[in-house]
Amino acid sequence: MNQTPVMDSVIRRSMVGSVPLSVHFDVTYRCNERCVHCYLDHEDYGELETTEIKNILIQLAASGTLMLTFSGGEIFLREDFFELLEFAKDLHFDIALKSNALMITAARAARLRALGVRQVQVSVYSADPEIHDAITKVRGSFARSLKAIRFLKSQGLRVKIACPLMKQNLAGLRQLRALADELGISYVIDMTITPKLDGDTSVLALRNSAEDLLGVMQDPTLQGKAVLDDGSESGVGSAISSGMEGDAYDGIPCSAGHNTCYISPYGDVYPCVQMPVAAGNLRTEKFDEIWRRSPQFERVRAIRDSDLPVCAKCSIRKYCERCPGLAQMEGGDLLGAYERACELAEMKARVAGVANPVSAWHAQNDGKILSPATLSSLVQIASL
Amino acid sequence: MSSETITLNPQLAWREIEGRVVVISPADSVVHELNETATFIWKQAESGRSVAEIADLLSLEFCVEPTQARSDTEELLRMLLQKGLVTS
Repeated sequence: MNQTPVMDSVIRRSMVGSVPLSVHFDVTYRCNERCVHCYLDHEDYGELETTEIKNILIQLAASGTLMLTFSGGEIFLREDFFELLEFAKDLHFDIALKSNALMITAARAARLRALGVRQVQVSVYSADPEIHDAITKVRGSFARSLKAIRFLKSQGLRVKIACPLMKQNLAGLRQLRALADELGISYVIDMTITPKLDGDTSVLALRNSAEDLLGVMQDPTLQGKAVLDDGSESGVGSAISSGMEGDAYDGIPCSAGHNTCYISPYGDVYPCVQMPVAAGNLRTEKFDEIWRRSPQFERVRAIRDSDLPVCAKCSIRKYCERCPGLAQMEGGDLLGAYERACELAEMKARVAGVANPVSAWHAQNDGKILSPATLSSLVQIASL
Repeated sequence: MSSETITLNPQLAWREIEGRVVVISPADSVVHELNETATFIWKQAESGRSVAEIADLLSLEFCVEPTQARSDTEELLRMLLQKGLVTS
């Protein structure tokens, strides 16, 4: 959702009333791809059943949720997915989907359109089929995803490519953008690779170094937001973001817990998918109780940028895209700094012409960088 | 227009947020935020009331003359019709 005066006004009022305006709901962790960078465990440990999800949707609507993103795992692996979509439509949600699109046929694309789905974000990792298929570990997945994107486009649906940058696909970024242009769709290039939800940090080895991302940071066409005719935006950003941006978030770390949250396939409620701090479970508690009264949400809501003991003093803060969830997962402290954010901020500051930029955290630690082993020991999936 | 019943466009996403209805059109991703009066009219239209009934309720709720309420209701509904947010 683009930043407009109307959207800014809506965000501000939702913040004042602590309304969960946008909810990211993973309805399954099962998947028909096995992407090398994925942070999920694809086993099913007892997903929410159809009636449970419908009950949650009723509660979300009553709490004021307007924007609903169904994601996974692969959402179309749920046999009841269209039933859930129909139910969500009747509750007047604004519906967006995140999918690898492998199971989207022409008929299903038409049905998505009829059910009022506004946007489908499809994971495409490269314009080179071999590289894409090597990342998903499914032969032919590139061709199938592309075919599905064309089905969706032919129905007039807004489609967006999501591409997390890894060592495997950085060199082909230009070709991926050309592919998106050829398809007439927008894209989001995400420099974030996150630890797995179980704390495993092995996937972080797939990250590009800050130096390797220099070209991305120097490219003005990637750093701005190119807007397509359908109003969608392309550029570097977050593939998991609610898409709501605005001045209303000034002074707080992000929207998580203020007007957005995440629900897992097991009913756990978190401030964000990247902030795995379970505040309650919808099998035993009401959504509104968790959202309004859990200590976890209250604490997240109380945090101001000025409370961050190191980052608040950082001279290159304006170049930093610190994520509080990753600060928790990678640095062990929701309020703390973490290596990746500091590295990228220093590189961005350098690109912007700042001489010898050093983050407050690096200055405090004499420029010492944590080793992956240390990083691994710091990862905590814990309650606040 | 007064005896007509107005129907909300079923394709739209909408929610009342802190006293104001916010509408999103999936076809073009445009976000509309209704003011207090428009929100009142929207909610009456949702419950299936005719334009005349909505105008009467608006007159009572906002303490305006019935003729003014009728004129305001019709003007707003015409605008919503033009934007495709409601159908008559």
